[in-house]
Amino acid sequence: MIELQQVSLSFGAGTINAKTVFRDLNVSIAAGEFVTIIGSNGAGKTTLFNLIAGSLMPTRGRISIGGRDVTALPEFRRARRIGRIFQDPLAGTASNMSVADNMMITCKKGFKWPIISLTRKMRERFKRHLAALEMGLENRMGENVSTLSGGQRQALTLLMMVMSGPEIVLLDEHTAALDPANAALVMDLTTRFVRQQRLTTLMITHNMNHAIAFGNRLLMMDAGEVIIDVKGAEKQALTVARLLEMFARVRRQSFENDEVLLSATAS
Amino acid sequence: MIEGIFVEGLIYAIMALGVFFTFRILDFPDLTVDGSFPMGAVIMAMALKGGMAPLVGLALAFGGGVLAGFVTAAIHNHLKVPHLLAGILTMTMLYSINIRILQNRANVPLLRVDTMLTQVTAVARGVVPESWALLIFFILVVLVIKLALDLFFHTDMGLVFGALGNNERMVVVQGVNPQTLKLIGVGLSNGLVALSGAFAAQYQGFADVNLGQGIVVSGLAAVMLGEFIIKSNRIGFLTLRVILGAILFKAIMYLGRYYGYYVNMTPNDLKLITGVLIIASLAITNYRSIRGKRGAAS
Repeated sequence: MIELQQVSLSFGAGTINAKTVFRDLNVSIAAGEFVTIIGSNGAGKTTLFNLIAGSLMPTRGRISIGGRDVTALPEFRRARRIGRIFQDPLAGTASNMSVADNMMITCKKGFKWPIISLTRKMRERFKRHLAALEMGLENRMGENVSTLSGGQRQALTLLMMVMSGPEIVLLDEHTAALDPANAALVMDLTTRFVRQQRLTTLMITHNMNHAIAFGNRLLMMDAGEVIIDVKGAEKQALTVARLLEMFARVRRQSFENDEVLLSATAS
Repeated sequence: MIEGIFVEGLIYAIMALGVFFTFRILDFPDLTVDGSFPMGAVIMAMALKGGMAPLVGLALAFGGGVLAGFVTAAIHNHLKVPHLLAGILTMTMLYSINIRILQNRANVPLLRVDTMLTQVTAVARGVVPESWALLIFFILVVLVIKLALDLFFHTDMGLVFGALGNNERMVVVQGVNPQTLKLIGVGLSNGLVALSGAFAAQYQGFADVNLGQGIVVSGLAAVMLGEFIIKSNRIGFLTLRVILGAILFKAIMYLGRYYGYYVNMTPNDLKLITGVLIIASLAITNYRSIRGKRGAAS
């Protein structure tokens, strides 16, 4: 579904500040896979998403989605097949517009013509979808999104993303900015939607338990490389201890990242 | 006199609606307005002089404004020039173009030329006084434009415009090219501005290439004054308050012009007053929002 072949990315080539993020990176994601991605800060997780979504263009290499070469395709064109959710709950919605208006904008991808689609029938449809979230949002469709809590906004963003019918879903720590209860709720919704719609999903997380518990494949990134890639039965049997042991073997050093380790022991 | 204030206010309201579209909805401070307003005026004047029907002149003026807006948006989109600079570039170029349209003159009088307004007063003759006929005409014109804009902002495209100024990221993720939207938005906005210029030329009885000097600032003043009158988030009220703001702005300028001499003020000071008005509006809005935040915190 997603292929990155020999992808390199560097900034400021030829200057004293030259920084290479990826060197000949190869990643291949099959259709229907739910991949969790973990790694310390600066490992290149979000940069990988930026390359797939087209917010960044690779210095060298080829990126294809669904068998089609998209390397030169601008972000807004790729976006028709990609649903992307950011860590910041404010990033996915327009806060000064109503819930219904936001849903109208995001319920289908592509250019919008000056026609009125937000009819009573459409509102009924939105209402049914909102009711399924079980957050009471179906009664607040006329309210501005800015009155919603972070969890509600992120759940709404998730719902709108799924309604737009993407083939690929990129989740960039989309529960990290939420309190634990809301994070669990949004995570539940995520797994439900991914399963229902059989979406090819990539999810970045800082939470090692989440990375192990969710999905059917796990990638660990470090310094611009994919250092661990487990799937299938091995992924099912994975534990935190086993993952740390694998890291130590690959890198010949112990995994020292307080944030990730703390999240592993805490929850 | 009171009808005069309203008529001028309504003519400027069309321009202010254009300014509102770019500044408030697109978040694209567009200075092209200073050039597209006189452009509408000179196109209209030359169309009328050439014997064209006033409606054709209006359509040409609107089209000219749209083109001017396209140029600004294209400079901004493709050369990655900041929007302010892109607007200034187009505005400066339009000064020469406007003189060209007037066939190398700086102004053209419209005396004894049949305009849309003389047609209106001819129809209304004997029924209502001339100035009131014009007032009714402009109320209708502005109402039609306002309702058309309200309708536009309820369409799918209009909604995306609302989101673009608020969260461009979201628009891109939705698979819409923000550059295309900016092109359409700035084009439409300047079309409205040129339309306003076309009416202004007919009302004043002449078209002048300097008609647009500082017009964007007065449009902005109208938008801000309107925001004091009505607090709302609904598009119908947003456009209504721009119109009311434009009328209020004209009224303040009238007062300045007619009673200003008591405080030793001349018409030359009006631009200064406009600027001070905007600064005062900004200061009060700032003060209110700071107080609002403190209130929420305590």
